[in-house]
Amino acid sequence: MNKCEDKEVAFFGKITAGITHELKNVLAIIRESSGLIGDIISISPEAVVKYQEKIRNSIVRIKEQIERGVNITDRLNRFAHSTDEIIAKIDLQETIEQLITLAQRFARLKHIVLKTVPPNQGSPDVTLVTRHVQLQMALFASLECCFTVMSAGGEINIGIRKLEGKNAVHVVCKGDLPVQTEFSRDISESKNWQALQEIAGCLQGSAHLDETEHGIVLCFPDEISP
Amino acid sequence: MKNLKILLVDDEEEFVTTLAERLELRGLQARAALNGEAALQMIEADTPQIVILDVMMPGIGGFEVLRRIKAQHPQLPVILLTGRGSEKEGVKGMQLGAFDYLMKPLNIEELIKKMQEAIKSHP
Repeated sequence: MNKCEDKEVAFFGKITAGITHELKNVLAIIRESSGLIGDIISISPEAVVKYQEKIRNSIVRIKEQIERGVNITDRLNRFAHSTDEIIAKIDLQETIEQLITLAQRFARLKHIVLKTVPPNQGSPDVTLVTRHVQLQMALFASLECCFTVMSAGGEINIGIRKLEGKNAVHVVCKGDLPVQTEFSRDISESKNWQALQEIAGCLQGSAHLDETEHGIVLCFPDEISP
Repeated sequence: MKNLKILLVDDEEEFVTTLAERLELRGLQARAALNGEAALQMIEADTPQIVILDVMMPGIGGFEVLRRIKAQHPQLPVILLTGRGSEKEGVKGMQLGAFDYLMKPLNIEELIKKMQEAIKSHP
């Protein structure tokens, strides 16, 4: 057991609370849209003709929300299965995309957009043998560091790049940001930065600031030592 | 209740616009605001008779919107919507002056009943 394991439950709670809130919104939209169809049908057969556009729009909304709900539950299911093995072989890009979906609501509450930077075409998949839950904790902590300094309307781009021959995760903040020195100071003095350093340590990796790009660089070993 | 002027405040646009349509089919006048800032402006421009307010919103959160409404319009009844399973949010809102709270997904008949109770208690 490493010293970050006792924080995993709190991380699961935070992510699950956010994602179930999203699911409740999906269900609320489906309920209102199907309710609207029911309301119109119960008025009269003429009303069905009169309000056929509302009915059509409601059906489209229901379909869209079912897709949204399926995507969220799929991600939530994968997230839950990340506890199946303490140390597992994982696809780094897939883990980033998963985390982005799970963290979307947290970003939206701050008016910040999260985007993944797709890998270059033809580049091989990056796999790591690591603690999957803690890797997601590290990615989420890096987003929270960005939230600390970013203003509404900003965007965070996350992608994998080569750094001195090794794969690294680059988390780049964009938008109305403090100047480079303030950016580094504000992040490095935050509790989220301390948390990120601790988790990166548990993963036998590192997290450092990239002032020139207003970002954070996360490096992890290809295979963690048990 | 007919022609009751309602302001619905929620950042889930499709939820709030569909709920507004359902209330309008029942003869109520429902408008929608997608964030706290817009809601406060709409209240100042044309004060509704009741506000239905989501707790979790980007920008100014529901509790802060509630505080500001109560500071300017203490008699305006506010019913909170919460997506969370915890009753703590609702209870906190009532301590801040909300009439009551409802959980999402909503039951529209329950909402209407709650609005009737709120209007009766804020003549």
